[in-house]
Amino acid sequence: MKNFLLGFVAAIVILPVGAIGYFCMGFTDAQSDVAPSALESRMMGAAVHAAVARSAAKLTAPIADDDMLVKGGKVYVEGCQGCHGELGKRSREDHSFYPRVPQFPYTGTQYTEPQIYWVVKHGIRMTAMSAYGRFYSEEQLWSIAAFLRRIQSLPPGVAERILAKSANAGSSH
Amino acid sequence: MKRFVAGFLTGALGLVLVALVCLRFGFADVRADATIPAWLAGWLNVSAHASVVRQASSLPAFVPATDANVIAGGKLYLNDCVGCHGEPDKPPSDFGATFYPPAPQLALEGTRYSEQQVFWMAKHGVRRTGMSAQADSYSDEQLRLLAAFIARMPRLSSNILTEIRRKPESAEPAAEPQK
Repeated sequence: MKNFLLGFVAAIVILPVGAIGYFCMGFTDAQSDVAPSALESRMMGAAVHAAVARSAAKLTAPIADDDMLVKGGKVYVEGCQGCHGELGKRSREDHSFYPRVPQFPYTGTQYTEPQIYWVVKHGIRMTAMSAYGRFYSEEQLWSIAAFLRRIQSLPPGVAERILAKSANAGSSH
Repeated sequence: MKRFVAGFLTGALGLVLVALVCLRFGFADVRADATIPAWLAGWLNVSAHASVVRQASSLPAFVPATDANVIAGGKLYLNDCVGCHGEPDKPPSDFGATFYPPAPQLALEGTRYSEQQVFWMAKHGVRRTGMSAQADSYSDEQLRLLAAFIARMPRLSSNILTEIRRKPESAEPAAEPQK
């Protein structure tokens, strides 16, 4: 029994020390121009989703109308599509960030509105998703969430309104 | 001895299991807008630095550090890097601070990475950070100029500062993709 305990403790000490040593001696790859393995993507994707679901469980999204979707879509075009994919353009795959940046116009999202709101506001650690709570109002954050949730199933006319308005704004920029 | 091995295996399995359960049930804190603890920032830096040193140290020496080269690199920096990494003589970037780990403020702090290492990081990006690989947007030649400039921050002569801010008369810096 004593030996068993000794082995148990040895494992708990040696494995983390070994892992830290492995990282500190530079044996991990640092470059982001190689795709993450399927195992890492699935494991970390599930971990992020579970953590966001826990954190956003108590939030309730306001009811979205077309105007709110247009507002959110305009923020998306202005501030998100550089990394997350252009609305109404052809698909391109991200291959320069690690983990890869989801291309929402082509993939949509499995996250609910309160979860999207939470992610945009607080960001995701150890990814290129930074926290936008300092830059967007609550109203803007909820409108982005409403838009993103429906990005692949926008009511008729909404995409046109988003793109028409932002084209004007873009030319004065 | 058999008991020791059995205990070791149980401990190892338990450790992995606890980690997986924590991740699976959402106990990992994923917010990027909290301050990163100093021990974690230090440890992440050490491991990224060690990895970059391993990969990039055998690269040959780069462009000569003439003012013209440093200025050319500085124009690229002002064009595309300042949003996250800070502009020379300006306050640190608010936007860069919202990443986790935060973007290093190169204009304010400089860097301990060598020119070769800066080139390698700009070209290939750094995993699990906001730093993406720039090889699609810039040629190796441009990235060498950029590295020459970054390696010379934060202390830049006023001549170089003026020159990099001078607007091009005609067509100039390389056409940039939208951010």
